[in-house]
Amino acid sequence: MGILLFISVLLVAACGLIYELVAGTLASYLVGDSVFQFSTIIGTYLFAMGIGSALSRYLNRGLVYRFVWIELLLGVIGGFSSALLMMAFAFTQGFELILYGLVIVMGVLVGLEIPLLMRIVRDRYEFRDVIAHVLTFDYLGALGASLLFPILLVPRLGLVRSAMLFGLVNAGVALWTTYLFSAQLSGKRVLRIACLVVLCALGIGMADARRITATAEDNIYADDIIFARDTRYQHLVLTRFKDDLRLFLNSHLQFSSRDEYRYHEALIHPGLAAVPVPHRVLVLGGGDGLAVREILKYPQIEGITLVDLDPEMTKLFSTHPMLTKLNDKSFLSPRVHVVNADAFPWVDSNTDSFDFIVIDFPDPTNYSLGKLYTTAFYRAAARHLSAQGLMVVQSTSPMFARDSFWCIAQTLKQSGLQTYPYHVYVPSFGEWGFVLASTHEYIPPTSLPSGLRFINVEGLPALFQFPPDMAPLPMPPNQLNSQVLVRTYEIDWKDISH
Amino acid sequence: MKVGRRKFLRAGSAAFLGLSLKTDRPIAGSFVNDSFQMGHLIRDRSTFPPPKRIEKFPVVIVGGGIAGLSAAWRLRKRGFTDFVLLEMNPQAGGNARWGENEITAYPWAAHYVPVPGPKAEYVRELFEDLGVLKNGQWEERNLCFAPQERLFLYGRWQDGLEPAIGLTQNDRDQFQHLEDLFAKFRSSGEFTIPLELGRSSRFQDLDRVSFSDWLQQQGCDSRLLNWYMNYACRDDYGALAKDTSAWAGVHYFSSREAEEKGPLTWPEGNGWITRRLLERVGENVRTNQMVHRIAETKRGVSVFAGDTEFQSEFVIFAAPTFLAPYLIEGFPRLHDFVYSPWLTANLTLERLPDSRGAEPTWDTVFLDSPTLGYVDATHQSLRTHIDRTVWTFYWALAEGSPAQDRQLLLDKDWNYWKEAILRDLERVHSDIRQCVSRLDVMRMGHAMIRPSVGSVFSEERRRLIRRDGRLLFANSDLSGISIFEEAQYHGVLAAQTVLSHLHGHR
Repeated sequence: MGILLFISVLLVAACGLIYELVAGTLASYLVGDSVFQFSTIIGTYLFAMGIGSALSRYLNRGLVYRFVWIELLLGVIGGFSSALLMMAFAFTQGFELILYGLVIVMGVLVGLEIPLLMRIVRDRYEFRDVIAHVLTFDYLGALGASLLFPILLVPRLGLVRSAMLFGLVNAGVALWTTYLFSAQLSGKRVLRIACLVVLCALGIGMADARRITATAEDNIYADDIIFARDTRYQHLVLTRFKDDLRLFLNSHLQFSSRDEYRYHEALIHPGLAAVPVPHRVLVLGGGDGLAVREILKYPQIEGITLVDLDPEMTKLFSTHPMLTKLNDKSFLSPRVHVVNADAFPWVDSNTDSFDFIVIDFPDPTNYSLGKLYTTAFYRAAARHLSAQGLMVVQSTSPMFARDSFWCIAQTLKQSGLQTYPYHVYVPSFGEWGFVLASTHEYIPPTSLPSGLRFINVEGLPALFQFPPDMAPLPMPPNQLNSQVLVRTYEIDWKDISH
Repeated sequence: MKVGRRKFLRAGSAAFLGLSLKTDRPIAGSFVNDSFQMGHLIRDRSTFPPPKRIEKFPVVIVGGGIAGLSAAWRLRKRGFTDFVLLEMNPQAGGNARWGENEITAYPWAAHYVPVPGPKAEYVRELFEDLGVLKNGQWEERNLCFAPQERLFLYGRWQDGLEPAIGLTQNDRDQFQHLEDLFAKFRSSGEFTIPLELGRSSRFQDLDRVSFSDWLQQQGCDSRLLNWYMNYACRDDYGALAKDTSAWAGVHYFSSREAEEKGPLTWPEGNGWITRRLLERVGENVRTNQMVHRIAETKRGVSVFAGDTEFQSEFVIFAAPTFLAPYLIEGFPRLHDFVYSPWLTANLTLERLPDSRGAEPTWDTVFLDSPTLGYVDATHQSLRTHIDRTVWTFYWALAEGSPAQDRQLLLDKDWNYWKEAILRDLERVHSDIRQCVSRLDVMRMGHAMIRPSVGSVFSEERRRLIRRDGRLLFANSDLSGISIFEEAQYHGVLAAQTVLSHLHGHR
């Protein structure tokens, strides 16, 4: 009987530690700042254990009976703690309150366990042996749990099921205790039924854990995540909320299906409609096929070459039904030729000429992307312009990143081009800017393709007017050796984020 | 079988370690481009077989580094093509050699040229030739991209190499004091590149003390300032400040305008210049030609390489000058030519290592490392997505005497240097061993001339620079500092001298 008893000490200790680790890890995942989370949770937990130990002196009779109930309670609370906390984060405002409440309750219960166990077995052994054995197994259990948790439990089972597994262990110990101390117990039947109920509940929980996690995660990210993938080049996430489809690349919003037509009509038509006889168009970036959709509205265009780095991105927008509906299957048009390549080397090595060039890259958030906004790049791109050719560049927001916008305009100017900056309002982005550039004078178009929802001929001149708060600023051009734009952009967005 | 307790523990701990260590990538590599063997043949004055063939050229250039190639460039540019350039190694370029793998081209030694000032007219002419300078504008793609340099100190990064964080007021004052002094030296017009154009005896006293002593005299005892001054000397001269002439130390800081544009650089470093020069003069270049004897005759100079005697009217000796006493008959011993030993390594990285959140830069230096850090070969790439790269790691062995450090280079095996390099990098990039697939090491016993105390104003140098015989010297070591501009200057001048003699004769 001795060894069996001490094994329950070991198991009980392991459970106690696991709940503590689950709470710490979940809080770090969800709230961040892991040092703070772990410190405060361990501290609170240990303090609550102290309270439990202090309270243990008020339990006088029916120690085994009470011990079984404590185990069951712990099994339920600890076992569901992880699921509970995820739900709390997803659906309530009071995550911290619930977190520390749970930690205190669990800590008190765990703090009761060891003193009770010691008193239960004190008549069978010498006092010094009780202390030595119980504490030895207690610490062994802690070691086992702390090793199992990161190596096996979290990677294999995840946090929700790990907690439940140890809830099962607690309930198992409870059930086992009813047999181990059968002689000292009254009301065994009720106890055993309770044990079975708890075991069943946790078992069902384990089986259904995936749904619990999914429900919580969906709510944490607000919208349904319908697609998420780490490609070789970027982290790609597609979300949907009712009829609104949104694409995020490395957490930056690329479009919202509710208003992307504003962005893409503004990107394409003021320029392309002004080219007298456009035959060939080049799109750099724009792997969502939405710019191509607009370009295909010109029947005289014979060929569109789209250069985008990420094959998974262009493939997704060629095949996913929701997305091909959005871009009108633009990538499936025989007039469209998709090239998956790094834009700068491609522009350097290719010799074709184009009547319209669309440069639609992500904002210059780092030095790698910054290279695609330099005089060196624009000069290389401009070499592809035909005599009647025009080029348009997505140029971030002239409102939120005013310096950056005018820096891009200045860079194009420095590259030997005439520039025609304009801006539109896209609700999901805010005020957004573009720069048209060419080697000759740009004359706004007098007709546009039919069926546009946002751009019209009458409204065009207004796009080229900048109110005082977005008016031109003197900025240096962005060059490979200075990359002033990346620094400027960082400062611009830092300024508005607080 | 009885297993001893100790043995058991050892086996046990080995098993435990095996479990806990992350599996490191196997790292391939070796020593490359070694030229010790050939050098030692010459040093030991081994006997070489008598020539079987005779070839005649009006001009023979010995040495295919930047000095020799520049001489060839000048000759051909002036329409003179009847010459041969003999290079000992399989690849021309000297300190501007390069390598290439499936990821990128990379340098083996010199990897940049500062934007040349107005005095460096031959360098400007060359860069106009190569399309680097167009209508007074520097080609943007050849200027070092931003971000350029970063220093790792106190567990974090800072931009630029001059320590700028954690300075006390005293540190700042001393940096400022030195900057003011250097500005004064700069405006004196004495410290120029090429060095010969500005140098007069006005500051000759500086050549009589070491740079570190001179710094002491200026009241500069700041630890960070001295680290930076030592770094500069190790980087450009392969020597510590205490082994560097104060004149040379001042020259480093006072010879160039504070240039915002950043240096000119290419993935393969100055190997790019070598390649462009070889496109222009390659047909005159013969590699694997170890010159073992040079003798003046009644009618000219004979150069013996392999089994051939090259009979010429003029020889441009562009190889390191310390070889002259071993190769040229009757050449006196040299006293003022001390060379620093170097080691460079190229590391192939299959992925970018953890860099503590920082974006890659061109040049990375760790404070208090005995090495000089590394340069990223893909930094000048125009690609936006870079997941593999090559780092060129630089290490001037400056702690001991050059002879001791050369011996160290010879004694230690590849594994020793590999470990030393990875350990240095590991301090900042903790997962470097999981990223590197190949690490090749190049050992250079006489990598660059060292401007020791007294060497800048050495009489020996002045005599060789005169270039008045049929044997004209051209290596950058004539200037006492080993930089591209000096090598090119002496090469071009030697070629021009030869041309004027030849025209005079005819």
